[in-house]
Amino acid sequence: MVLTTTEPASDVRESEATRLSTAPLARSGWRHLTSMRTALLLLTLLALAAIPGTLLPQRGLNPVKVDAFLANHPHLGPFLDHLSLFDVFAAPWFAAIYLLLFISLIGCLVPRIRLHARALRKAPPPTPRHLDRLPVNETWSSGLAVDDVVANACSALRRHRWRTEVRTEPDGGVSVAAEKGYLRETGNLVFHVSLVVLLAGIALGGLFGYKGTVLVVQGQGFANVRSSYDIFEPSRLYSDSQLSPFSFTLRQFKATYEASGEPRSFDALVDYQAQPGAATSTHDVRVNHPLAASGANVYLIGHGYALHIQVRSPSGRLVFDSDTPFLPDDGMFASHGVVKVPNGLPHQLGLTGFFYPTFETTPLGPRSSFPAARNPVLSLAAWRGDLGLDSGVPQSVYDLPVASLHHLANRQLSPGQSWRLPDGTTVRFAGVDQWATFQVAHDPGKKVVLVAAILVIAGLLGSLRVRRRRFWLRATPVDDGDGARRSVVTAAGLPRTDPDGFRQEFDSLVQRMKD
Amino acid sequence: MHLAHVSDVLLVWAVAGYALAMLGYAAEFAFGRRNAGSRAVVAGRVAVALTIAGWGAHVGSVVTRGFAAHRVPWGNMYEFSSMVALVAVTVFLVLLTRQQVRFLGAFVMAPVVLYLGLAGTVLYANAGPLVPALNSYWIKIHVVAAITASGAFMVSGVVTTLYLLKDRWERRTAVGVGPGTAAAVEFERARGGGLMGWLPAAEVLDRLAYRVVAFAFPVWTFAIMAGAIWAEQAWSRYWGWDPKETWSFITWLAYAAYLHARATAGWRGRRASVLALIGFACLMVDYYVVNTVITGLHSYAGVS
Repeated sequence: MVLTTTEPASDVRESEATRLSTAPLARSGWRHLTSMRTALLLLTLLALAAIPGTLLPQRGLNPVKVDAFLANHPHLGPFLDHLSLFDVFAAPWFAAIYLLLFISLIGCLVPRIRLHARALRKAPPPTPRHLDRLPVNETWSSGLAVDDVVANACSALRRHRWRTEVRTEPDGGVSVAAEKGYLRETGNLVFHVSLVVLLAGIALGGLFGYKGTVLVVQGQGFANVRSSYDIFEPSRLYSDSQLSPFSFTLRQFKATYEASGEPRSFDALVDYQAQPGAATSTHDVRVNHPLAASGANVYLIGHGYALHIQVRSPSGRLVFDSDTPFLPDDGMFASHGVVKVPNGLPHQLGLTGFFYPTFETTPLGPRSSFPAARNPVLSLAAWRGDLGLDSGVPQSVYDLPVASLHHLANRQLSPGQSWRLPDGTTVRFAGVDQWATFQVAHDPGKKVVLVAAILVIAGLLGSLRVRRRRFWLRATPVDDGDGARRSVVTAAGLPRTDPDGFRQEFDSLVQRMKD
Repeated sequence: MHLAHVSDVLLVWAVAGYALAMLGYAAEFAFGRRNAGSRAVVAGRVAVALTIAGWGAHVGSVVTRGFAAHRVPWGNMYEFSSMVALVAVTVFLVLLTRQQVRFLGAFVMAPVVLYLGLAGTVLYANAGPLVPALNSYWIKIHVVAAITASGAFMVSGVVTTLYLLKDRWERRTAVGVGPGTAAAVEFERARGGGLMGWLPAAEVLDRLAYRVVAFAFPVWTFAIMAGAIWAEQAWSRYWGWDPKETWSFITWLAYAAYLHARATAGWRGRRASVLALIGFACLMVDYYVVNTVITGLHSYAGVS
């Protein structure tokens, strides 16, 4: 990829290509790959390749939608899937495009950096013979000697940080060559090198990071070991030793809402411990405010209700006493959940429930009219039979295989109410608690990416805002016989990039030299 | 809700000011075509005054909206559109202080009025609080950068379109300029080329469009990166190929291609400009289509 300046990049490529002096085919292939046309093509291709990733559902974003699409399009779906169109951003063809782009970029950067390093040490180019042929020029006569004119010019130029070179010419004249705006190419190179570093940082995170999700009920804790997670997504080169041994307890979760039921704020107060035995500190984890645990960030990503349910056997023995998380089904937090009591009763008992934090009856059935627990009601159905927990088939804690169970009864309960089943078992809705889900994420490449991103912008500003320009001045002595020393001065300038504003800069420089 | 009403009324005034200004700029052209008389200059100056008045009302509308909602006034699509239009007018006014760009007036006002009209009718949402996900100081940084870049891209899009028209016209009139056809071309210029003859040279337009993109592109880059930092805080990852992120990236690629094309022989000029317009089209998709049709994490449209 060729970088955007007026620098004739083809020279660079040619000298590089001749030095490689490998087989002509490889050489021309390489030259094509690092040409601007290829860069443009690859940029366009990358943009086009990204589009299907926004139009079709993506596994990385929403696997449920992908499954639904596959179910609805039995012929087209598998075909698209075969082309990795549901994993566009992880697809081999997508990777091929951006890797080619980056190879092309590096292939162009290396000679370009070498050339710029040389240019930074080199003096500005010699003064052209006919300065009056340049687009911007001016000639005047000065009462000063040639050396004084040149000294004045150099000090005016250097004050504005021009790089200058004074050369004595054969005919007795002296010329000054000056150049400014090297920062443009420096910025340009910094921008492109930083893009490569940015990609490396992304790769680092993708290879060594991890991500996990866990649901924690108010009052309960979490320790950062792999088995504690509900979902754990390690990266390719992840090892368990990367898990730093922190832990935390969810002391309190608090959600507030607008009158409409729209959420206003979520706060999770957690007691955090960096490692076993370390001091405990309390943190407020909110949306946009993750907890910076040692080596990882802890994010609040969801919440819901956990219902405290107690079950006693007909003889009065407490066989189940636990906060059971219910999963929200809508924005008003109507939720569903399941209680399984396999032991301690004459039969295995299962309860399926719907929970309404603000209960309301409508012609369409019960519903929740507000997400906060203003009038909590738990609607339970009791089932008897083999819950299938010993069958060896993994089961979700949020599902009960009711098809094979015997339905006993239904009941609506408010907090504190008990319900006696026909066989004498009692179910008590002891209270409403809350849970929060946390995501723990560790990305070792994050800092590299951040630094690279800052440099990308700094480089971009340099390459787009700085203008490269040249200035020349020639002073020739005039001898009019009376011994007075005077000179004729010609100055000229050449904007090498954006010419806007150059005329004014030139005029003010010349004005300062005349004074 | 009193202040919210003031905000709405001020926006109507702003649109009226811009619309009248557009007529003024058009009048300047109409008078200026027949003779470079003072009537054209007066029309142009009145148009600028109307633009500034409209701009004042527009700023007032945005500020009162912010006070009405007790938050930054760019929390949903209506407010965002209003801000983008405000930036576009601001960019035009700033350019006006630096160089002779009054010719742009009508062409900037037209999309601004359209944009605001769309914002005030289809996209309108009542002044309300933000959802917790948007409650971060990054909304000030990320969204302001995105708005600034979008407004500037809009102005550059207008200039690029004018450049393409003018360039085509210059090519057409330049063809066959010989001793015999000069008079015919002169006639053509005097008769049909009114607007085109009145616009500055294609090269000037091309450079102006580039200058605005050279300002907007780093701002857009910053907007994407600030968004990534915010995403890292809110969603636990700095990049996740969410449709909004992806289309912002596609827009970035298109403008990057434009900047590269400007430095490539054979691409400089018309072909590069087409890339810039494609970039602007991507920006519009990023904004309208992603917000309303494709669902993603950036669901702040407030349109139901």
